[in-house]
Amino acid sequence: MGTAPPWATKKMSQKKINRAALLAFLALSLTVSAAGKQPAPQILGLRLGMAYERAHARLNEIGQFKSEDEGQQVWTLRNDKHYQYLIIGFDRERTVRYVTVIARPDGHPVSYADVGNLADATRTGGAGNLRYTWKANDKKGGFDYLAIAKGKDQRYLNRYAVKRLGVANDEDDARD
Amino acid sequence: MCPSISALLPSSAVPSNLKLRLIFLVGICCALVFPASASTPTSGTLSPSNGSSTTWAGSGIGGATTDETTCVDGTDCDVFTITLTGSPSNYQGLVLAINVSHSVTLNDYDFYVHKGDLSGPVVASATAGIPETMESAVIDPTVSGTGVYTVHIVDSTVAPGDPYSGVATITTPPTDSQAHGTAPTYANYQSPPGLGDSSGEPSIGSNFNSGRIMTQALLDTLQVTFNTSTSPATATWLLKDGPNTNIITLDPILFTDSQTGRTVVSQLFGTTSLSAFTDNDGATYTVSQGGGIASGVDHETVGGGPFRLCTTDQLLATPVPCAQLAARGPITQYPHAVYYASQDIGDAEMALSQDGGLTYEAAHPMYTLVECGGLHGHIKVSKSGIVYVPNKSCGSNQGLIVSMDNGLTFAVEPVITSTSGTSDPSVGVGAKGRVYFGYIGGDGHPHISVSDDQGRSWHYDLDVGVPYAIRNAAFPEVVAGDNDRASFFFLGTPSAGDATGADTGTPFDGVWHGYLATTYDGGKNWFTVDATPSDAVQLGVICTQGTTCPSGTRNLLDFNDVTVDQAGRVFAAYTDGCITAACIAKGNNVSGSHTRADNDQATKATIIRQSTGKGLFKSQDSTRLQP
Repeated sequence: MGTAPPWATKKMSQKKINRAALLAFLALSLTVSAAGKQPAPQILGLRLGMAYERAHARLNEIGQFKSEDEGQQVWTLRNDKHYQYLIIGFDRERTVRYVTVIARPDGHPVSYADVGNLADATRTGGAGNLRYTWKANDKKGGFDYLAIAKGKDQRYLNRYAVKRLGVANDEDDARD
Repeated sequence: MCPSISALLPSSAVPSNLKLRLIFLVGICCALVFPASASTPTSGTLSPSNGSSTTWAGSGIGGATTDETTCVDGTDCDVFTITLTGSPSNYQGLVLAINVSHSVTLNDYDFYVHKGDLSGPVVASATAGIPETMESAVIDPTVSGTGVYTVHIVDSTVAPGDPYSGVATITTPPTDSQAHGTAPTYANYQSPPGLGDSSGEPSIGSNFNSGRIMTQALLDTLQVTFNTSTSPATATWLLKDGPNTNIITLDPILFTDSQTGRTVVSQLFGTTSLSAFTDNDGATYTVSQGGGIASGVDHETVGGGPFRLCTTDQLLATPVPCAQLAARGPITQYPHAVYYASQDIGDAEMALSQDGGLTYEAAHPMYTLVECGGLHGHIKVSKSGIVYVPNKSCGSNQGLIVSMDNGLTFAVEPVITSTSGTSDPSVGVGAKGRVYFGYIGGDGHPHISVSDDQGRSWHYDLDVGVPYAIRNAAFPEVVAGDNDRASFFFLGTPSAGDATGADTGTPFDGVWHGYLATTYDGGKNWFTVDATPSDAVQLGVICTQGTTCPSGTRNLLDFNDVTVDQAGRVFAAYTDGCITAACIAKGNNVSGSHTRADNDQATKATIIRQSTGKGLFKSQDSTRLQP
């Protein structure tokens, strides 16, 4: 079996690069699909209110399970240029309560403005401790949610999360 | 001796830049008046033979500093380097003994021994206080290794003219490893009927100014006054709810700053906290902002203590970081910091209040779930302003989250001697900074470990349940007094099995009591006492799996608490799940059944009060504790 000629290898590489670029674009767009608008109620295809099984199917596609603590799971992301870890919390109905991603220290940075329109966000904190919070409504799901971008840097975030509002906190029931 | 910077800072009326200039000038003056000191000689070498010895001396200039982290070398602390030749195996049957002595009983030197240079781990320390005139520590080179050790001698409180003498000797190890003296005794005080009847996860605090105890659990804030004109003392319990205490919310928490007398009560409520504080033990309250802007939604804790501020010597040596610390210092007449922390979506955060808990800054992240489990224990602050938050699971160990800059940034230090567990651990911080980390290990046993370098290294990890053959424990709580003294409160049972699980199989059969372990020698030895010997706290399981616990297994909720009063007397608050005569009788019937079906599932507020024995403050030893 002969080896592929250099031009073919180059062409294949170009294809791979194009595909990788497309995937990266899609992944980023899944995360920041609403740049300039309101942030979407999902991160990397993990949507608030999504059933546990569907969420796990998606999680297995994009990452590897790392640890679990009281209904919250940490996943190490594979091949994501922006984020290194994903943390997901489930409610008592085993649907997604929140999703948080943690930026990859040496990855492609995500700016606060990539997440949503900063003019629509509440800015709190200050230098070294910046936080933009958007409150939005998911008409399809019929719930309110928060999108929160946090970081030490003035431009780029360290963490980004979406969190469903109005979900009974587990601790409520724990007192019973 | 130069004054502490904190003494120069309380007035909010003085512009901050003027304050800094003033501090800088004072620092320069101090440097001119008190020149640098150093040990003479600066180093020595010892060989692995019994009797090998080296000596050195201090300058006798004097100084005063809180602990090793607040001194400046050549000013109020100095360094002597010891090199051990040979290999560790050459030191079989030998130890390195270090003694530092002085003459005047009103003076106090301490020392810390680092492996390697000053950035290395502290492998031993000696921090006894006045009136001792000798500090001693023993190091086993077969464990700690050979090579360089750096002895860091600190002027805790030293007037000029009393230089220390240091001697390091290779000798045979001491044979005595038992706790000496008499173990403390304890009495239980149950809240009266109608008060504290729904009291899961209690907090307790002591107001040194009024002598009162404050406690809170779920919906009640209670003020407890002990009448010591009779013996045993009687307790008066009064309901002192804050404006928000009896609103049904999530986690309740109470924190009393024993020095200032301020008590903060808080109820977690959504993404904030309903909080108020009182300076008169609950007679009146001031409603505060709560837990800080956009703080978390679960497992809150409030704590506080001195701000971390530079001494004048530190300011002179490192003015820029000192100015950054000062910017996070007090902004009102209230002298101490108050911190609020809780867990949110994938991380845990802390917010600083610079005005005594009235308002809080935006919260800063402490850690994410990638580093540690989400839920954490309660905040403790050292006298030098270092902030500690314990965590039961940071990788395979328990962990200590540490802030050296008033809650701006945090380091996660693994407690390397530990294994992760299911109960929130607890820290007590001694007067000179020694950290006591009480935890329930993966083996279910109650352990306590000690650190003299803010959690970077640990030693003396001991299972204090051994005297009672404790096989399962829960709710570790620690308080420290003097650097060498601490008490560790936990619930324990000698029964084996899944005592803290969901109880889904064969019901766990066990009797739980409240135990207090106390050290008077820095954690080397502990007196462990059953403080509820004839009245079980709980029968059957104590589920520590949080929100996943089945109904009826988590009546005690998540934690207890322990504190110390101005006399050094220890008080522990716990939830009593077994209060009826029938339940208590079952607990005392060794051959009977002790499952959760036998338990009352009660949640009754109860306080353990130390009756006799030495307290946690040596300065109070001359006044014997009375029941």
